[in-house]
Amino acid sequence: MKILLRLAARSAWNRRFTLGLMLVAIALSTTMLLGIERVRHEVRAGFSQSVSGTDLVVGARTSPIQLMLYAIFRIGGATNNMGWDSAQALARNPAVAWTIPISLGDSHRGFPVLATNGDYFTHFRYGSNQPLRLAQGHPMAGVFDAVLGADVADKLHYRLGDIIILSHGMGGMSLTQHADKPFRVVGILARTGTPVDRTVHIGLDGMQAIHLDWEGGAPLPGVHIPAEFVKKFNLTPTSITAVLVGLKSRARVFALQREIADGQGYKEPLMAVLPGVALDQLWDVVGIGENALLVVSGMVVVVGLAGLVAAILASLGERRRELAILRSVGARPLDVLLLLCIEGLGVMLAGVASGLLLLSLLVWTLGPLLAEQFGIALQPAWPAAGELQLLLWTILAGLVASLLPALRAYRLSLSDGLTPRI
Amino acid sequence: MKTLYWIGGIAAAGLLVGSGVRLLAHSDAQAAPAAAAPAPHAAAPGAPLAGAVPAVTARADAGSTVPGVAAATNGQYQVGDQLKQSPAVTDKPYQASGKMVNGYQEIAWEALIPKDWDPMAPFKGLKLDQLTDDDPRADAALWKAKKYWKDAPVDASMEGKPVRLPGFVVSLDREGEALKEFLLVPYFGACIHVPPPPANQIIHVRSAKAVKNVRTMDAVWISGVLKVERSDSSMGASSYSMKAVSVEPYTAPDNG
Repeated sequence: MKILLRLAARSAWNRRFTLGLMLVAIALSTTMLLGIERVRHEVRAGFSQSVSGTDLVVGARTSPIQLMLYAIFRIGGATNNMGWDSAQALARNPAVAWTIPISLGDSHRGFPVLATNGDYFTHFRYGSNQPLRLAQGHPMAGVFDAVLGADVADKLHYRLGDIIILSHGMGGMSLTQHADKPFRVVGILARTGTPVDRTVHIGLDGMQAIHLDWEGGAPLPGVHIPAEFVKKFNLTPTSITAVLVGLKSRARVFALQREIADGQGYKEPLMAVLPGVALDQLWDVVGIGENALLVVSGMVVVVGLAGLVAAILASLGERRRELAILRSVGARPLDVLLLLCIEGLGVMLAGVASGLLLLSLLVWTLGPLLAEQFGIALQPAWPAAGELQLLLWTILAGLVASLLPALRAYRLSLSDGLTPRI
Repeated sequence: MKTLYWIGGIAAAGLLVGSGVRLLAHSDAQAAPAAAAPAPHAAAPGAPLAGAVPAVTARADAGSTVPGVAAATNGQYQVGDQLKQSPAVTDKPYQASGKMVNGYQEIAWEALIPKDWDPMAPFKGLKLDQLTDDDPRADAALWKAKKYWKDAPVDASMEGKPVRLPGFVVSLDREGEALKEFLLVPYFGACIHVPPPPANQIIHVRSAKAVKNVRTMDAVWISGVLKVERSDSSMGASSYSMKAVSVEPYTAPDNG
């Protein structure tokens, strides 16, 4: 066996160029397969990390998935707001332990602005029921105070006391700015690894204040309310985007959900979503695309394998002499079969291993960029159980595929290689 | 001959990788095949279907057809279906089978309703047969009854009981991809398509260790110690919670 291994290694080294190319092909296809699997895994984990302990997300009627997407993950925009009095009626409900009102829609240099109140910092939980923690400063106190997420502060190099100007609407390059009412950074949150990191938090009164002199969707010409006078106005919000609700008893969640859906006691039609259920629905939808991606990457692996089989089969032609000589010095047909199997498996193993290595390298170099651009936090890690299963199947498929040329070599007679063809 | 090898080899490799991918994709929806499993058992002889009386909501509208146990021959659950328990349970719906599994006693969902609680109490003193459909008293009684059923009490004697029962999962909190906290309800679609089950038909489960590959409305068996969560009367009924020691995909019990 040992001799066979050495023979296989030597022989492979002799044909290192062709086999090297095959190795690259297999490595690349493995990287793709594992990469897709890992991104899928991380995206799911990231999403479910983003909210914890919130029993219901209440907002104007829309798709449950969409409400979750914008209220929790800041993806997409709000279709409709809900009235402030509905939010207060909800907060008064005896089954409700706490509520966090949130109002979205403005942005600061591409980062979403979320208006809320102090309850956000006391009741909001992420990950495994972890509370938000301020790395520096304190929560909003004045009308024009802002608390930044960790990513916002890092990327834009903000420190406590800096002055920021919010833009009206979303988008990185907003031309309509609330320049007359600048905000002051009073706090910076510790990193959470959730969309909170990419959010600028202001008070609900601040959100109301910057829109005081806006009528009909634009700043009224000639009307200007300077920042120092806003306190003379009623800064109670008229509408908000959504309310995060925590219940005294989680088992009551269906009762309250039904109550809100029935609309008893609320002025407008509202919708309550269980975050866990909405996420499961989202995965059902996204799952179709994910499976398609997996199938495509599986195909790529098959193509890689087919290439491997082709390369080994083609090499049989040039190795006729080699194999015949091996036979003539006493190698049995089974030895020849094993020799080729070892070669196939060896290339497969090396390919998968270098694929893993390549993936780790990619994650290590491109991970931070991915986290910054798309909020997907990839860490170099040992392959998880699901990935190992994929790898195992790939290697098994490689073994079976390499059996094919091996069987062919097994059947070639001794005389075939030694008799020169005319 | 040569081409045959080629075609065979490529097809085999393709099949292998394909099934690998499928296996992985299915590990997500792992409970789906498990959900399909009860079908043959449901059709097994000696398993009466009409025996099970789904809890309060169904008992309320006496006279209407009572939805049976998940007798689905196609393995798909219908809205309002209950999971089939051991035959002993389905034969006599108000008695637990008493079967012990690893020290946990299998119970029916009905066991969570106090024995002395009367679902027809709101109609006491009301001569239903003398009321017409549009009688305001009938309407008022119905509203009263709905509220009464919604606030159905829990059975305090269940406190601390090690029990095992099947139900459907409604996800609450996850840890990564694994599920840590969920609600267990007796009907498929309990949270979305029909009015919610009363508080005593919902168990708030915290799993001892996070369970993987379980999603909303997957069917599971859980084992754990029941706890009665008391609450002030202003917010209605108390409820059950449980620290589950085991959460397994649902399989129909054998006829033993």
